[in-house]
Amino acid sequence: MKYFLYVFLLIALIFSCRKDRISYKATPYTLEIPSHFPDMLIPYDNPMTVEGVELGRYLFYEKKLSGDNSMSCASCHMPNNSFSDPNQYSTGIDGIQGKRQSMALINMGWEDFFFWDGRKTTLEAQIIDPIIDPIEMHETWKNVVSKLNQDVNYRNRFYRAFGESGIDSIKAAKAIAQFVRTMISGESKFDVMYKYENGMSLNSTEQSIFQTIDTEEWAGYDLFKSLNGADCFHCHNGPLMRVKKFSNNGLFPNNFNDLGRASVTMNPEDNYKFKVPTLRNIALTAPYMHDGRFTTLDEVIEHYSSGIHMSSTIDPLIEFGSQGGVQLDAQEKYLLKKFLLTLTDQNFINNPKFQDPH
Amino acid sequence: MRLSIWFVSALLFLLSCKKKDPDTQPLDNFIKLTVQPTYSSDGQQNIQLDTVYTTSEGYKVKFTDIKFYLTKLKNGSVNLLESAYFDYRETGLLLAKVKGDYMQFPNLQGYIGVDSLLNHSDPSEFPNDSPLNISNAGSMHWGWNTGYIFINLEGKVDTIPNDGIANFDHNFSFHIGTDSYRRDFDFTNINWQTASANEKVFSLKLDLWTFLHNPSNPIDLKTQFLTHTGSGQQALTEKVTTNFKQSLISY
Repeated sequence: MKYFLYVFLLIALIFSCRKDRISYKATPYTLEIPSHFPDMLIPYDNPMTVEGVELGRYLFYEKKLSGDNSMSCASCHMPNNSFSDPNQYSTGIDGIQGKRQSMALINMGWEDFFFWDGRKTTLEAQIIDPIIDPIEMHETWKNVVSKLNQDVNYRNRFYRAFGESGIDSIKAAKAIAQFVRTMISGESKFDVMYKYENGMSLNSTEQSIFQTIDTEEWAGYDLFKSLNGADCFHCHNGPLMRVKKFSNNGLFPNNFNDLGRASVTMNPEDNYKFKVPTLRNIALTAPYMHDGRFTTLDEVIEHYSSGIHMSSTIDPLIEFGSQGGVQLDAQEKYLLKKFLLTLTDQNFINNPKFQDPH
Repeated sequence: MRLSIWFVSALLFLLSCKKKDPDTQPLDNFIKLTVQPTYSSDGQQNIQLDTVYTTSEGYKVKFTDIKFYLTKLKNGSVNLLESAYFDYRETGLLLAKVKGDYMQFPNLQGYIGVDSLLNHSDPSEFPNDSPLNISNAGSMHWGWNTGYIFINLEGKVDTIPNDGIANFDHNFSFHIGTDSYRRDFDFTNINWQTASANEKVFSLKLDLWTFLHNPSNPIDLKTQFLTHTGSGQQALTEKVTTNFKQSLISY
């Protein structure tokens, strides 16, 4: 009996001396979603946290994610260009150009498909790719993890974001995804127009903006929505200014004969279809289309007005395609452009929460 | 001490042999609504999107999108579902699946289209899993004033088959919306089919041959290929609405 008592006391002593684990519980992050937006659905396995978002911001601007430590995500998604690339094609660390224009990062938390061909269906999965793409950042995740591990600040930031020690590609992608989900644009002049026309209350700031909306901008908005006008709203509507679909919008195939969505689905009915992008901040995201072929908004408007190329997979909503387009006159083009400029959200691109923290 | 050990051992033995309570949790009953689009004069051939068919006029035609809303589904005062959305490309035959007892629904009434109150509500305010939430409605929502597209049929048609041009010469696009084009439906004496022990299915058919070739109301795709329920398009809008209602039948 005495023997058992000694054993019990010894075990109790050992456990009492065991070093306590220091646990860290990350702080839940509350997204600032505009009142006229739908909810953003957050993946259950990547909840938003203050620490995760902050880590993601550091990583978004971190050049160690590239093979020669010269490029970060922000190199092709620049804040001043509404997180897009002003170049037609982005150039990777080895001087190789891609074949598509970098997409603007705006309201990505509401997207279900990523890249122009929609080959990824989660933000986290999308983020993994550019790091290892030989024509982009051309690095291995193993090396990235190794480089980040050498920095005690990153070791601490990962620990605080995920409540456990260790750095890996999944955690890095999750953190960047968290940051990108905070990049919400909903404070443009268009937002005030949208809320006003739908009878939603305007706060004092929005009331002030409302006073600056002129008749030409309203006329441009009407034209934008008109079936017999510019007829843009079939593919660009709602507060997010896009619909979820892949569309052949009547462009001539480019020199690469880029098949777009069909390269993912292998379905010829998807030939030349590309993801419909948001028109938010459109004035800041030139050049335009999946291959950046148009350098100005005027060229884009002219395309839909008179430059439509008919093909077997053209979107049925390009209703005046057989006539070459919607045939806008000069005044209509002017008004339409005036409206497109109302989609610019300066607060978004200047938001200090989205800037380089390094 | 020895007595205690025997006692604990016996207790463990008894507990380990305790028979588990049978799982008495009742299964939820489900009601499923499906729609099979068809295209043939006998109404028996299932339609495939992006596949070429022929009209009675000899035109080549292919459907690229078949979508519509039903709302306020109920039997008298017993509600089944606020809204259901059919999108053949994205979700196949499924119109809706919901918990419910089929015995309460020998008949089913509702709207083809969106109830007026719902039609002009904030599309961002519907629950995330509602087909009416703007995130799910996507291109089926025009705007707060105009509301939702109730019926969306799109495709391509080649009305000049011998011109040597492989491309279909034009698109057709029927977008029906606005409150005045909402229509009632009323299915009676529903033949509920058993899909599993706790799931009953009501199968509908969307007969697109009849839709185009309604004897009293035919649609000639050569000249009648576009309506977005706009002014000046009332005649075709009315025709599409009427034919659609008559084409949506019990299977």
